[in-house]
Amino acid sequence: MGMRYKKILLFLLIICITTISGCWNKKELNELSIISALGIDKNEEGEYVKTFQIINPKNVAGALQGGGGGQGPAVTVYSATGKTILDSHYMGSTKISRRLYMAHTNLLVISEELAREEGIIKILDAFERDPEIRPTTTIVIAHEAKAEDIVKSLTAIDNIPADKVVKTLETSERVWGGELKVTLQGVIKKLTDSGTDPLITGVRVIGDPEKGKKIENIQASELDATLEADGLAIFKNGKLINWLHGDNARGAVWVLDKLKKTIVNLEWEGVKDVIGYQVMRQNTEVSAAIKNEQPEITVHVRAEGDIREVRNPVKLSDPDVLRKIEKLAEKEIKRQIEGSVEFAKENKTDIFGFGDEVHRSYPDAWKDFGKDWQETVFPEIKVDVKVDAFIRRTGLRNNSYLSDYENSH
Amino acid sequence: MPSFFKRHKRKKIDKVHNNKKEQTKKEDSKENSSQNAAGPLNRSLAANLEVIKQKTGSSPDVIIRRLMVGGGPPVEIAIGYVEGLVEEQSVNDFLIKSILNNDDIEVKNGEEILNKIEKDIIALGSIERVNDWEKLFQSMLSGKTIILIDGSSEAISANTRGGEKRSILEPSTQNTIRGSRESFTEAIGTNIALVRRIINNPNLWIEPRKLGTITQTDVSVMYINGIVKDEIVEEVRKRLDNIKLDSILESGYIEQMIQDQTMTTFPTIFHTERPDMVAGNLLEGRVAIFINGTPFVLLAPAVFIQFFQTPEDYYIRSDIATATRFLRVITFFISLMGPAIYVAATTFHQEMIPTQFLLIIAAQRDVVPFPAFVEALIMEVTFEILREAGIRMPKIIGPTISIVGALVIGQASVQAGIVSPAMVIVVSITAIASFATPSFPMAISIRLIRFLFMLCAATFGFYGIVLAFITLLAHLCGLRSFGVPYMSPLTPFIPENAGDTIFRRPWWDLRERPRLIGSKNTVRKGNNQKPEPPAAREMSSRKGDGDEI
Amino acid sequence: MEQAKISAYQLFVLIVMFTVGSALMLPLASEVKQSAWLAILLGMGGGFLLYLIYHGLYQYYPNILPTEYVQKLLGKTFGRVLGFIYILYFMYLAARVLRDFGEMLLTFAYEDTPLFIANALLIIVIVYTVRKGIEVIARTGELLFVLAGLLAISGLILIIASGVIDTANLKPVLEKGLGALLKTTATQTLYVPFGEVVVFAMILPYLNKSEKAKRAGLLALTLSGVTLALVAAINISVLGVSLLSRSQFPLLSSIQMIQIAGFLERLDVYFMLTLIIGGFCKIGIYTYVAIIGTADLFNIKESSQLSFPIGLIILLLSIIIASNFSEHIQEGLQIVTLYILFPMQVIIPVLLLVIAFFKNRKKNNN
Repeated sequence: MGMRYKKILLFLLIICITTISGCWNKKELNELSIISALGIDKNEEGEYVKTFQIINPKNVAGALQGGGGGQGPAVTVYSATGKTILDSHYMGSTKISRRLYMAHTNLLVISEELAREEGIIKILDAFERDPEIRPTTTIVIAHEAKAEDIVKSLTAIDNIPADKVVKTLETSERVWGGELKVTLQGVIKKLTDSGTDPLITGVRVIGDPEKGKKIENIQASELDATLEADGLAIFKNGKLINWLHGDNARGAVWVLDKLKKTIVNLEWEGVKDVIGYQVMRQNTEVSAAIKNEQPEITVHVRAEGDIREVRNPVKLSDPDVLRKIEKLAEKEIKRQIEGSVEFAKENKTDIFGFGDEVHRSYPDAWKDFGKDWQETVFPEIKVDVKVDAFIRRTGLRNNSYLSDYENSH
Repeated sequence: MPSFFKRHKRKKIDKVHNNKKEQTKKEDSKENSSQNAAGPLNRSLAANLEVIKQKTGSSPDVIIRRLMVGGGPPVEIAIGYVEGLVEEQSVNDFLIKSILNNDDIEVKNGEEILNKIEKDIIALGSIERVNDWEKLFQSMLSGKTIILIDGSSEAISANTRGGEKRSILEPSTQNTIRGSRESFTEAIGTNIALVRRIINNPNLWIEPRKLGTITQTDVSVMYINGIVKDEIVEEVRKRLDNIKLDSILESGYIEQMIQDQTMTTFPTIFHTERPDMVAGNLLEGRVAIFINGTPFVLLAPAVFIQFFQTPEDYYIRSDIATATRFLRVITFFISLMGPAIYVAATTFHQEMIPTQFLLIIAAQRDVVPFPAFVEALIMEVTFEILREAGIRMPKIIGPTISIVGALVIGQASVQAGIVSPAMVIVVSITAIASFATPSFPMAISIRLIRFLFMLCAATFGFYGIVLAFITLLAHLCGLRSFGVPYMSPLTPFIPENAGDTIFRRPWWDLRERPRLIGSKNTVRKGNNQKPEPPAAREMSSRKGDGDEI
Repeated sequence: MEQAKISAYQLFVLIVMFTVGSALMLPLASEVKQSAWLAILLGMGGGFLLYLIYHGLYQYYPNILPTEYVQKLLGKTFGRVLGFIYILYFMYLAARVLRDFGEMLLTFAYEDTPLFIANALLIIVIVYTVRKGIEVIARTGELLFVLAGLLAISGLILIIASGVIDTANLKPVLEKGLGALLKTTATQTLYVPFGEVVVFAMILPYLNKSEKAKRAGLLALTLSGVTLALVAAINISVLGVSLLSRSQFPLLSSIQMIQIAGFLERLDVYFMLTLIIGGFCKIGIYTYVAIIGTADLFNIKESSQLSFPIGLIILLLSIIIASNFSEHIQEGLQIVTLYILFPMQVIIPVLLLVIAFFKNRKKNNN
């Protein structure tokens, strides 16, 4: 009998433990405010201003439920200030009825001002340490704007603004190559490596940020304020020092081997921008060598693609002509890459990770170069860019109708 | 170590005590027997009939027909049987009519008449002599006809068993698309015959016995000599003989009395109503226990994976059978953990759920006033009520319940905001999955444990679920059925038998019987049984083609 | 000693689950950076030697527990004292692993839950299993091994498919030089996890075919060594050296980098499953061994009665051994390895083997 009582007692004990503990880590869905984006600014008093973009699930999923929801904006935005990042986070809870939940935050916006003056180094620790934040959260810099403005803007098609920004970056990284989608972990990794510095994409508000907050903004066919990816911010010692735009930005993405597809405009017989060469596949290899006790970098790009546009009659059915175009493409790609390498050298910041490459290949020599790589070695480094471009196809037509047109006129 | 001595002493005392107990037991049983059956029959017919009347309380269904026999001084004999248990036709035709037609026999006394009747007159196959009351009542009450003769202390019992019984129908709980359509009935003889018809082999042995001190139910143990492990048969005999119950009304009585472990919700003895399933299991070395009065036959020892197999798995192609078995394993996990995972994911691990999906659930949950666990509990309990009501309810009102169930649970509760649609989906999938488990006792035990999983999920999220799962595994690994580890051949892993677990290898490749169950004669088939196309069609023997044309 | 037998395959599974157990989650040999996987493979080589020592002792006494044969080797009093010390060692290490386990669980998923409760729940499950004896532990281990294998394979596929592996991170190999590599091996990876197989000296007597002990053990060590090295290499190539050295739980960080098709993200549950399975097996074996050791040493017939008290001791010990996680880890790296693991896993077994060799030679000569 005694045994039986003991068993019952044990069972009760287990039940007690489990039920008492019921509330420790439990978070019901209707007690959470799901944050989609965070913005970080600094105000005049030197305090951090953290802006939370909180999703209203009913207004996002409302359309699926059939009526009822879908009337209000998809997100609601709150701001809170604090002396540290965490401080501002907890100040946020004085304004928001529900527990701030950051596991679904996929965008972190840092204002350009903050990035320039204080740098991003001190900010990121709070995010890396937090088990809720995803290491794959995308980071962007608010270009010529406050982070707050980016976070507050409403967007169409993708109801959640954070989604829109992230998807824009993903798409443009894939099909244009001027943007990079960098993650929280990626930035920290580059910050801590001595042989490389991070690049972060900028996002700006086109139009009036005030109007962007209103729901009317997304009820028109043309938005009063819209978010647009714009340029790559380059960092040095954790501080933003300059912006890469256009071809320079693309050149950097080429070197980083992040580019998947892009368009290169080629000059033909002295006329600019005649041929549209669409790169379908590319592969970049960066290798380091030491010659005369000085490091040398070789960037080898292999691009494959099609001709998708000609604006003057070009005899595309002739393999020799294609070979000629390939040479032109190589030259153009090389120009873009060299431009961006020059730009980086002027700014004395190794955004390409050349230093890492030297470190990997020559760990012993790195001990000498490593100390002042950014300041003295990198700006003087010899970079050899080799490009092999191939044209595989010319689309549905061989020669353009332009040649027939010219012949008949 | 003083305690050591103490224990030693106590043991001795125990021993003495036990001996005493045994002695008293023996005496008890002696007394019982003398009370129950009043020893040998009397020589006087009248006295015998008086005893019968008294013993049966003059029940009207005990029919006694008195006849006069013999040409010399006529001797009175009596024919007694229980109405409804016998086939009256054969009693009338082969007993009464035969005796009356042989009216002119010349005999002097009862003994001679007895011999004469036994040898010359009765036109029935199975007869025997009985000389004590116990045997007499037993045979009469099991459907035999008794012939008592004045002046003889022996009686004849003739097998006239019959009467109304259910005909052989299609199985109602274990259906297959392909395979035999027969199922067992309540009559033990019919059931044994059904198996005999499948296995035409003298090694199919049957051991009859009577269990239940009052009901005296016929119970038969069946096995294939030469395949079954002797220890297991011995164990079955021992456990059956240990049963001291007043009644055996269904196979469940015996199942609960002979299982290895009682602290479990899992069935450790298999039951079936399909003769082909019994035959298949006998051929794997198992022992079947037939019980009169129920269409369910027990099979032991049972292993866990067996409850997820159907006879059809062996009839259809092996690849398809394997795929179905995988499906059943998936449904097992869904029905065990479906709601638990949903509760854990939506209350503890929201980070796992893809954002878009989370938003949909969050929007639905926003109006629901209960925590997810309570919500799940409400739905699960409602479902169980519906299921239970569906079984018990008269068939005519069946549709009403489904309408009420579908409307109330499916729609109204969602529209009222008491439950979220996502929860309805989860509970429905779980419910359907639990019915995909072929064995009902297994399914219901999983359903019960599901609530435990839900509780663990609600208090500790996935940590709770995983801990509960490990505990469940340890529990299952600790179970045994007639000494055979319940999780074998998965663990302890027996590579030779792994071909018939979640996988089902093709018959030409399924070489061995379960090792832990049947020991002797483990190999099932000859070598090189793989079917091949005729050689002439092979590419290498192309030459032959021309000759044919 | 319990009347039960396990098969060689079950021994293999137990050794794999035990050695991979908690070592999978913790950063192993992070001092040597990119060469961590090499240090693990070297440690595995050392582990082979250690296992052969334990196996050598087992061959002299194939049917009795080490707690019993040390008494034959060293005399009753010394032997008993040493046996008791080993039991304390098992209990202490069980408590350490339990602490590791609880800390991990709390850090990444259950921050609001008290450590005591998280640990208590696991220990309850372990006590429940251990009470059923070595056969049930081995069978449960077999099933969990299959589960862990499925997890490992699918996890590997997911990590490769998400494209986060950058093998360039593995270079430069041997940056700190061969000396540092050997030092790390000799001070860390040799003992954790490979030297820890000393507990299996207590389990080997349960093996049904004693001639298979060597093969099963060495194969198991190979499998776990290769697995751990592979995981270490993956961690480095996914996270890079600097992040790896800052990560409390590198495997978790690697898993969190997985991002496939926009919806397979944050697969923390993978880590949690691996963590609980590994923790369960490792602590379970330590607890079981502590129980049978105590029962053997103090002649307790019903060893399952000891499971509750010993479970409770381990639980309490796991709470009081350190006041915070960093202290716990530092203790493990600096004090435990040198003053506990080294003598218990290397010196004493070697001495015992030497004594056993001479004693048995004398016997044979006589």
